[in-house]
Amino acid sequence: MGTKVVHTRGDITLVTGVIGADTHIVGNRILSMALEEAGFKVVALGALTPADEFIKAAIETAADGIMVSSLYGQGELDCRGFRELCIEAGLNDILLYVGGNLVVGKQDWADVEARYVDMGFDRAFANGTRVEEVIDTLDEDFAARAGGIA
Amino acid sequence: MGADGNDIPLSAAQIPADDFADMRRENLARWPTGTEVDLDEAIEFHQSLPKHKQLGWVMRKAAAEGRCLTQPRGGFGTLELQLELMRALDGDGMADIVPTTTDSYTRNEQWSQADVGIEESKKEGRSMLNGFPMVNYGPKQTRKLIEAINKPAIVLSGTAMPRLTCEIGFAAGFTGYLGSGIAYTTSYTKDTSIAEGIRNYQYLDRLAVLYQEKGIDLHRRQPGFLTGTNVPPCIAIAVGVLDALLAAGQGVRNYGLELGQTLHLIQDAAAIQVCGELAHEYLAAAGFEDMFLPVTSLHWMGAWPQDEAQCAALVSYGGTLAAIGGAVSVTTKSTHESYGIPTPNANAEGLRTTRMAIYMARHIRLNELPEFQAEADLIRRETRPIIDRVLEMGDGDAALGAVRALEAGALDIPWSPNRFVQSRVMPARDLDGYLRVYDPGEMVFDPDVAEIHTERLMRRAEAEGVPYDQNLAVTSVYEISEPLDRLFPFPWGPE
Repeated sequence: MGTKVVHTRGDITLVTGVIGADTHIVGNRILSMALEEAGFKVVALGALTPADEFIKAAIETAADGIMVSSLYGQGELDCRGFRELCIEAGLNDILLYVGGNLVVGKQDWADVEARYVDMGFDRAFANGTRVEEVIDTLDEDFAARAGGIA
Repeated sequence: MGADGNDIPLSAAQIPADDFADMRRENLARWPTGTEVDLDEAIEFHQSLPKHKQLGWVMRKAAAEGRCLTQPRGGFGTLELQLELMRALDGDGMADIVPTTTDSYTRNEQWSQADVGIEESKKEGRSMLNGFPMVNYGPKQTRKLIEAINKPAIVLSGTAMPRLTCEIGFAAGFTGYLGSGIAYTTSYTKDTSIAEGIRNYQYLDRLAVLYQEKGIDLHRRQPGFLTGTNVPPCIAIAVGVLDALLAAGQGVRNYGLELGQTLHLIQDAAAIQVCGELAHEYLAAAGFEDMFLPVTSLHWMGAWPQDEAQCAALVSYGGTLAAIGGAVSVTTKSTHESYGIPTPNANAEGLRTTRMAIYMARHIRLNELPEFQAEADLIRRETRPIIDRVLEMGDGDAALGAVRALEAGALDIPWSPNRFVQSRVMPARDLDGYLRVYDPGEMVFDPDVAEIHTERLMRRAEAEGVPYDQNLAVTSVYEISEPLDRLFPFPWGPE
């Protein structure tokens, strides 16, 4: 195992937004506020953001991660091909996170998570995940990355 | 003139008939099913509907008899699934009003994407859309939904762009339609200007009046829940009255106002009372004396808990709140709310739970209680200056006033995604469970009213031992969705 290198949150840029035709902004705004308060650089795209706008913003700001929110159920359609779009744009190892109500209706979370991991997301967060847990996870993932731990 | 009507200066005045005919022609040409809309044929169909399937009549009857009607939300991605859903809501759910919610692609006029959603739903055998793509199916197919039920039906389509969907919906035989220019533009869009949203709903209202002129009493309704996140009664009522003025300007006379529940029994009852009162007062003052303005109460519109038992309490209590408040109808949710779209069965259960709660509370009123009267008085003192200021900023015109006041923040919406809204106002729950205003942004309240809000929230901060800051507002967003072991545990257990 490599030595754990502590990263600086201020060096990490995260793009946030609500994907597709989805207007649910509240949780995403609270998440963006909390990430900023925790020291991350945050590029908040807000509600109703098409997939390619996430990618455009990530390129322009040399972002390290994209955090996609979806609450209206159609995320499964909106997020298809998201990883491929990143790769096409040259964002080969950007971390991709997705969270919210990611499918239509009440479905088994393990299935939903697997579906999104298959789509190329590094992590999927269930509805109700609190910002503290997200920040801890980001710290873990970026520490692993900085320390060269896969 | 351009047929979209965008070169007519914005005002609350009625769209002239000739201009409207041009606007309709252009609008209906935007998607193939638009050509299926035949106004004369549609009016004949509406005339053939029995009274109990006409929402305008049903709402008037319920108001006259003091009934609180139940209505869920619901929409799936294919006609087959939607038929099954509406039959279940009508039958098992005993819904008094049966809904069709449109999917979000339809709401954003992305009909090609909705086509993909229909195909994917058929392929996967489950709905991949969060509602029914009414425009893609067109009025002829969609009418099968109306024919499948024995209740009036309402279109629910959270959008600032309702022009084609409303043509299809009314032509299909829906007798109710939810949506309004100020409320939906501030809550469902990011880049749509308030003026554009208002124009789009003036189109819808003007269309409803074409039916009205032929004796069809359609029920138009204003979505007072706004962003659904701790909207204080004064803001909801002010927007409701302004949207009602805009609808009346087009000629609408049957117009419902909605209020999202604050979950405080006294505050909700007082809000319902004052909403109806102020709506009549301002509409009459503008020369619209013959408006029917029933109030609908909405089950909690903020974040829901994941535990179905906790949800059941919100559903049931929501029926109690609506009945005691004297609402003419209640819009229900279900125990699946935190996961999104409920199954037909869960949705029907939410309706029956609510119905039983209404039955038990139907004769209870709080109007004589001093605490009710104090809160009603406070809501009046909060709301009147907001509406007066908006009308003043528009030189008496509600449309111009709304645009200017939202831009300046004199009228503000909490947690709005729209960039033409200041969205600086921050509501929070006080120690007694009332929704108050922590930060008014640029909204101006009378000093004694502002003082009450500050004092109540400071008392909460003190009691909880937390700073008096923005976190009071943020924790109020999540409060109701917290699991019970965090929200309200046994307090005296071992360390």
